Amino acid sequence: MSDATIETPVAPEAPSPRRADADALALEVGGDVREHVGEITVDLPAERIAEACELALRAGYDFLVDLAATDHLGFGGDGVGGYWSSPTGSGGTRDLNLRGSTGLAVVPQPLGPKRFSLSYQLLNRAAYPPRRLRLRTWLSDGEPAATIVAVFPAADYQEREAFDLMGISFDGHPNLQRIFLPEGWDGHPHRKDYPIGGEPVQFSEEV
Amino acid sequence: MEVVPAGRPNAALHATDIESLVMTTTMEKVLNWASSNSIWPFGFGLACCAMEMIAMLTPRYDVGRFGSEIIRATPRQSDLMIVSGRVSHRMAAPIRELYEQMLEPKWVMAMGACSSSGGMFANYAILQGVDKIIPVDIYVPGCPPRPEAVIEGVITLQKKIKAGIPPAYEATRSQS
Amino acid sequence: MATAAPRPRYPVAGLLSPIPSVLQPPADDPDTMVLNLGPNHPSTHGVLRLVATLNGETVVGLHNELGYVHTGIEKNMEQKSYWKAITYAPRADYNAFFCNELVYVMSVEKLLGLEVPRRGEWIRALFTELQRLHNHLIFLGTGSIDLGGIALLFYCFRERDHVLDLFELATGVRMHSRYAQVGGVAEDLPAAFERECRQFCRMMRGRLDEYQDLIGAQPIFRDRTKGIGVITPEFARQYGLTGPNARASGIEWDLRVHEPYGAYRELKINPVYRQNGDVYDRYLIRIDEMRQSVDIIEQILDGLPAGAWQADDRKVVLPPRHELHTSMESLIHHFKLVTEGFRVPAGEAYVCVEGPRGELGCNLVADGSARPWRVHFRSASLIMLQSVAALCKDVLIADLIAILASLDPNMGDCDR
Repeated sequence: MSDATIETPVAPEAPSPRRADADALALEVGGDVREHVGEITVDLPAERIAEACELALRAGYDFLVDLAATDHLGFGGDGVGGYWSSPTGSGGTRDLNLRGSTGLAVVPQPLGPKRFSLSYQLLNRAAYPPRRLRLRTWLSDGEPAATIVAVFPAADYQEREAFDLMGISFDGHPNLQRIFLPEGWDGHPHRKDYPIGGEPVQFSEEV
Repeated sequence: MEVVPAGRPNAALHATDIESLVMTTTMEKVLNWASSNSIWPFGFGLACCAMEMIAMLTPRYDVGRFGSEIIRATPRQSDLMIVSGRVSHRMAAPIRELYEQMLEPKWVMAMGACSSSGGMFANYAILQGVDKIIPVDIYVPGCPPRPEAVIEGVITLQKKIKAGIPPAYEATRSQS
Repeated sequence: MATAAPRPRYPVAGLLSPIPSVLQPPADDPDTMVLNLGPNHPSTHGVLRLVATLNGETVVGLHNELGYVHTGIEKNMEQKSYWKAITYAPRADYNAFFCNELVYVMSVEKLLGLEVPRRGEWIRALFTELQRLHNHLIFLGTGSIDLGGIALLFYCFRERDHVLDLFELATGVRMHSRYAQVGGVAEDLPAAFERECRQFCRMMRGRLDEYQDLIGAQPIFRDRTKGIGVITPEFARQYGLTGPNARASGIEWDLRVHEPYGAYRELKINPVYRQNGDVYDRYLIRIDEMRQSVDIIEQILDGLPAGAWQADDRKVVLPPRHELHTSMESLIHHFKLVTEGFRVPAGEAYVCVEGPRGELGCNLVADGSARPWRVHFRSASLIMLQSVAALCKDVLIADLIAILASLDPNMGDCDR
């Protein structure tokens, strides 16, 4: 007798409602959906961000929780791997059990194509269970983003913060000026090429 | 002359001989004694240390026992500016202005690590010690210092004043 | 508790335009003057600067100037290893310091995929509720003195010292204890903690009733706060308000109930909501939340599980000290963790907790190295300060103080 068994076709698992929302949104604005540690992120082109926020608002994600800007210059520069490697990642022996080690000499891939990322965290409270979604867009240095103050007024100060500390400008923001640093400040401190600052401490020679 | 029986509690009030009635001292000592026992703090809370400063004023720690009863919101009526918290560059100008508005004699306490030397924030945003912009009389370490530590700072300042050490701005003034 | 809603004293606040956070004064009005409140001011909850344009006593223009305590905490955290960066987090929101540490370590644990043992989660929830009491006591004390009632400041700070005594008993320091660690909490609760905490809870209930009487029934307080600064649910949604500010307007959203995390998945939380959304409700809801916290603390003490308070993963969590004498692996782990620290796989994670002010979140980006790449705190204070101008349209200046106090911003949280 043959070992062939009749396999009943199994329907693919239906995506979660969050994932369905994200897929629909990504389809509309030409983005990619990524899932990591239980969070769903839609990476989308910078010029579609305001439109994406509108669509998300209409889909029920009516609350802007957070707007975070990140500078990825030099991402993964420390390298990975090695139990006794120096913090600058200059090789060393390998320890495959080290939590966070992704292999022998694998440098983590940058999370996105350009230098700056803007993460918009949205929340749908009416759904049960509540759903969170992250919209993320990537910008080069000097490339402006579109403001979403018209869609989510709570983005006012947060976009100013991104402008002040990261130097990302927002087209259409009604009041784009520095928020934390004094007006004449030069530079954008949270960028990776801005030094941490402070003063060198003089240690005396005698005890 | 009235004879006062020995052992009466308020015998001193009834004394009539000059040695018991008159105490000689210097004007400076009297002024120092008076000002050290009535140092009124200026409520200048910047960050976390402000919470412990307010705790110092509340009944459990009660710096009022040492004369610092009234905390004034205006620099014009206060003697001691307690810089409680980290000083950012933006805040430096208001601090200097408020310091200038205080009337002499005036003292400054750098409460906590951040106002003493920048604390853990050795970065672009924080002034590495408020003594860069105003002369400081007493530094209280801690992050944040306990209210008892701040009271010890106040007491040490009182001892300093009683000992006749001039406020810190005198030193900077004599230098310039 | 359900009485007729008080008639709002002023037209109900709506979205301002073109700038949501700025109340534009009327141009060229000779009757107005510009008044600067802060950055050093007894009522501005830290170093907030409000630039108000007044016509007599009425506020006709308002905008905020922030940044007087901008510290660069987020940038400093990028310079240190994950473990050492925990020290910077509580200095942000200094009234809810444990919640800051907690949200940061939770985001690290999310990227690591590290599970915290039950006892660790329950102790964290206990401290979160104690922290909520701490914050609301400071709110009530300083909020009362803003309105002129000085007595409550002393009472609330007396209770606050009891909460700090509990923190000191467990961790050794009053504030900024760095008790939350990646994988759990730093140390187990001492044996005397339960007794002291229960005594505190018994005392606290009586005190909360006193506070309710002191302000809730006081006619001057009611006159100054009822019908002032009404926040509608739509206003709260547009301006991003969460926490007690939103729940006082009837918005049913509490992370502990609707998106439970940690021990809240197992605890029974009775959410507190109020309906009118005025300053009075925002004060009273925080007293209700304090009662709720005392209930939760007793529930936690009743059901606190035994066991480990920190995860057992030696690649991330320091081994217990006694093992260093006997185990070579422990010694190596300890050395590695203290010198370089553990590495976190690359990725971006957002974790939020129900802080006393609202949703407190941490957006962590890791790059596979031993130091965080980017830590961003979602600050409830920064977001709520946007709404001050809209709420203070055409109010008296005394009401401006009341409205600002009722929102409970914290400048350390706002500026970071």
